[in-house]
Amino acid sequence: MAFDAWDGEDEAAAGRFVPLYVLVNGRTSPRDSSLDLATQVVALPADRRRLEPEYLDVLNQCGNWISVAEIGAYLHLPLTITKVMVDVLVEQGYLGVGAPAQQNIIDMRLLDSVLAGLERL
Amino acid sequence: MNRTSVKIVVAGGFGTGKTTLVGSVSEIAPLTTEEILTEASVGVDDTTGVEGKTHTTVALDFGRITISPDIVLYLFGTPGQDRFWFMWDELAQGAVGAIVLVDTRRLETSFAAVDYFERRGIPFVAAVNRFYGECAYSEDEIRSALELSSEVPLVYCDARDRESSKLALIALVRHAMSRLPAGV
Repeated sequence: MAFDAWDGEDEAAAGRFVPLYVLVNGRTSPRDSSLDLATQVVALPADRRRLEPEYLDVLNQCGNWISVAEIGAYLHLPLTITKVMVDVLVEQGYLGVGAPAQQNIIDMRLLDSVLAGLERL
Repeated sequence: MNRTSVKIVVAGGFGTGKTTLVGSVSEIAPLTTEEILTEASVGVDDTTGVEGKTHTTVALDFGRITISPDIVLYLFGTPGQDRFWFMWDELAQGAVGAIVLVDTRRLETSFAAVDYFERRGIPFVAAVNRFYGECAYSEDEIRSALELSSEVPLVYCDARDRESSKLALIALVRHAMSRLPAGV
């Protein structure tokens, strides 16, 4: 486990205490390169006690399926950081991942569904 | 897991109504997510006058439409500044295609977007935003000014109007489907 437990008291009123690059252990890109800003994730049942508060914040957004971009927008986190944090949570079994957008371009049935959905709007 | 994301990119020059269009069809108020560019990635930009600036923030506006219980369509507006091409690459990758909004008073602001999608073979429609009143140019004039190839659909819309924006999205999806090889 790369992350030690901490008591979560570091978030001072003055702002973020931990620089973002520390939070993601200096990683600059997710290991799972198929993680796209539109990829959706959802929280899985897991013991969250060892998670740092910033990761818990991410997880708390994921009670229902939600995209990486939405998580970043709601938590005011830059996309790159959001992606890496989501990737860490996926890797450690806290989050389940939906189908990445890039698999879908040539799927006629999917486009049919999208068309029908738009026409119903 | 059976949860699918679909992307459509909404592009066009500054002030052509990208966020307006996203907002008129999205089921949520448009959200903004940010990407921070570090010094290294800003190196190719002209930073004269902002020496000492170590990062730049690029904002992306986006919205969502739930298509079915397991499909969500995300609409991403491209960043206002054309120079952030690397963000366009991420947005365009895996997207159904793009709507390039056109303001006929400033056609040239949409050149870069047309060129971008044309070069990459990404399906797109040009959508003339009628926000600014009736269009003074004929379809042929707009096509030739934007150097649109004949197969690219040209539609007219009012980005403020939900129904109108929806029709532009439908035109794009139909166009993307028409380009798929038969039998896929």
